Amino acid sequence: MNWLLGNWDQVLVALGEHVAISLTALAIASALSLAIGIWAARNERVFNAALAIGGILYTIPTLAFLALLIPVVGLGKTNAVICMVAFSLLIMIRNVATGIRAVPHDVVEAAEGMGMNRFEVLTRIELPLALPVIVAGLRIATVTVISVTVVAAYINAGGLGTLIFAGISNDFAPKIWTGALTACALAVAADLCLARLEGWLRRRAS
Amino acid sequence: MFADAWSYLAGHPRQFGAALWTHVALSASALAIAVAIAVPLGTWVAETRRAALVAINAANIGRTLPSLAILALMMPVLGTGFAPALFALTLLALPPILINTCTAIRQVDADVVDAARGMGMTAMNLVRKVKLPIALPVIFAGIRTAAIQVISGAVLAAYIGGGGLGDFITAGIAMMAVPQILVGAIPATLLALGTDFLFGRLQRALTPVGLRTG
Amino acid sequence: MRRKGLLIDTGPVGIENGQLQLLVGPAVKEASVQCIGFIRVLATALAIAALGAGSAVAQVRVGSKNFTEQFIVAEIYAQALEAAGIKVERKINLGGTLIAHKALEEKQIDLYPEYTGTMLLAVLKGEPMTDRKAVYDKVKAEYAAKGLVVLNETPFQNTYNMVVRPETAAQYKLETLSDLAKVAKELKVGAGPEFRDRKDGLPGLKAKYGIEFKEDLQMAIGLRYQALANKQIDVVNGYSTDGMIGALKLKRLKDDRNLWPPYYLAPVVRKEALDANPKLAEALNQVSALLDEASMTEMNYKVDGEKEEPKDVARAFLKAKGIVR
Repeated sequence: MNWLLGNWDQVLVALGEHVAISLTALAIASALSLAIGIWAARNERVFNAALAIGGILYTIPTLAFLALLIPVVGLGKTNAVICMVAFSLLIMIRNVATGIRAVPHDVVEAAEGMGMNRFEVLTRIELPLALPVIVAGLRIATVTVISVTVVAAYINAGGLGTLIFAGISNDFAPKIWTGALTACALAVAADLCLARLEGWLRRRAS
Repeated sequence: MFADAWSYLAGHPRQFGAALWTHVALSASALAIAVAIAVPLGTWVAETRRAALVAINAANIGRTLPSLAILALMMPVLGTGFAPALFALTLLALPPILINTCTAIRQVDADVVDAARGMGMTAMNLVRKVKLPIALPVIFAGIRTAAIQVISGAVLAAYIGGGGLGDFITAGIAMMAVPQILVGAIPATLLALGTDFLFGRLQRALTPVGLRTG
Repeated sequence: MRRKGLLIDTGPVGIENGQLQLLVGPAVKEASVQCIGFIRVLATALAIAALGAGSAVAQVRVGSKNFTEQFIVAEIYAQALEAAGIKVERKINLGGTLIAHKALEEKQIDLYPEYTGTMLLAVLKGEPMTDRKAVYDKVKAEYAAKGLVVLNETPFQNTYNMVVRPETAAQYKLETLSDLAKVAKELKVGAGPEFRDRKDGLPGLKAKYGIEFKEDLQMAIGLRYQALANKQIDVVNGYSTDGMIGALKLKRLKDDRNLWPPYYLAPVVRKEALDANPKLAEALNQVSALLDEASMTEMNYKVDGEKEEPKDVARAFLKAKGIVR
């Protein structure tokens, strides 16, 4: 741990990069999944197609996906973010769509009966009620994204993976431990926070 | 581009064969060992609420750990090569199987368990003949998830000298040679997709008709 | 509507709601509004941060390849430039030879340290030559045509040394690569990702010496010596200035048929960067002249053997030479 004490600035920089990339990917994935998920909630065919494509994307091995993108976008952050968004689509679209679909019909009808238009029903009734499930999906996507970012260091995207690879480079275990454990801690912390949020939302919704 | 990849493959058949074989061997072994550990363990901890809670929480944390982190952590301890890669991949495969096994067994309908107990079944038989078969589809879903994780993780094993299809990917990246990258990335993808499809079929076959949802 | 969720990876999906609720909990509405607002703020902040980070005013970007000596030399160059008043951004550990070269050509970096032999064989894909000056002149000329300037060489070169454990050398009586050729079929070789395909790598060993190994393992460059020490492999493509060779008392096998060209280190710089920074060439050449084999090997050992940070080792070197205070 002496290494950590002497080089915490390096670790912080890596951590900052890691968080920045992850957040970027999650923001994009959320926006996309919200749009596609809402559509998929209404349309069975879109639902099945989205899940099928998302499923295939999710199954592709991480490093293989990053490598396949190299001829297209080269190395670096862009490559990594595209990969992460693709991996997150399945779980997030599925949860958005399923969450919206699970809203009871009577509630929707009552709202429409009160004069709300489609948009208002969506934003004031369906999305809020679906929120716990959506956040559940976001939670899994977050952990996935943090994990992929670790590997993405290999194609020069930055992040905590650089510490791991540097440590492997001169066979220096403390660096490897620092990078790996920080990434793990980040993933666990993010998961816990979102779990709390999900639980709170569930209690509020019922 | 694909033509170049194909000719690279055709020019290095032995190397590709070795890499493919190592990849499959690593993945299959890790999965098998993980199943052998996680299913009995999951069944056992499912007996008490406390044990189940601890196990599931631990496994949930295990699930959040980045695969490369686990591989990298093994290296200072176990060195380079097939063995540390296998160890790391087995660790990777444990959480999904453990969680699904434990939860599925605990969720076997209490009425069914009561009926079986009423029939005089021993605890051992209860597990083997009632609980496990009912829980099987969910356990299998966990194994399926684990299988994909492991195949994906095995790609990274190349970095610590474990061999596998990742060798072509890392060499291709180092040489900026797209054909080589493809020779590694495409078969790895096909392997993962194929395995997922196969397991999906198996899962359907294992699910009693009455419980199928799709 | 109750549904028993069994699959754990999405969490229970059913929502219980038996009540007809028109006023959907203001708290939930509040939460969702806040969530969306939060995401918006975050996205904006990220965009600003990304923009800001991208336009950090660095005059010169120094890159490096993916092994210890490269990390150290890049740091030495970077710190020397900073001492000369030039602002530097570091892009260390880009990857293999061709990745670094590509980064240079695509203007993602302004300079990185490369070896003349590697320039000749791996980048220019030329034919092997043994004369040091001839190699330098040739690569300098051909790189110039690409808009890249090869500055002065360092006094040291870093060539390949196939190395084995002392016991292996004793067992098979190995002194030269020709000796190795006779027993290679019984030995396993380990190397980084480039060695398998480079002309001066395994294919070169095969062509010149007829060397074919029992098995060839690929791994991260930094793991080679560990694998050798663990007997996972028997032969390693050592780099002649690797500190670990001496530390592990490994036997270097002589290149008796002269497979390998000279590999003298020189910074490769984009012409535009040179023109924009008049002090660049002088600063780099001054520092290059100070890098001799003994110093380089010792610095490599400090990082690989004693686990010091490349930037600290670089700073110590420059301090001792009076370039930085």
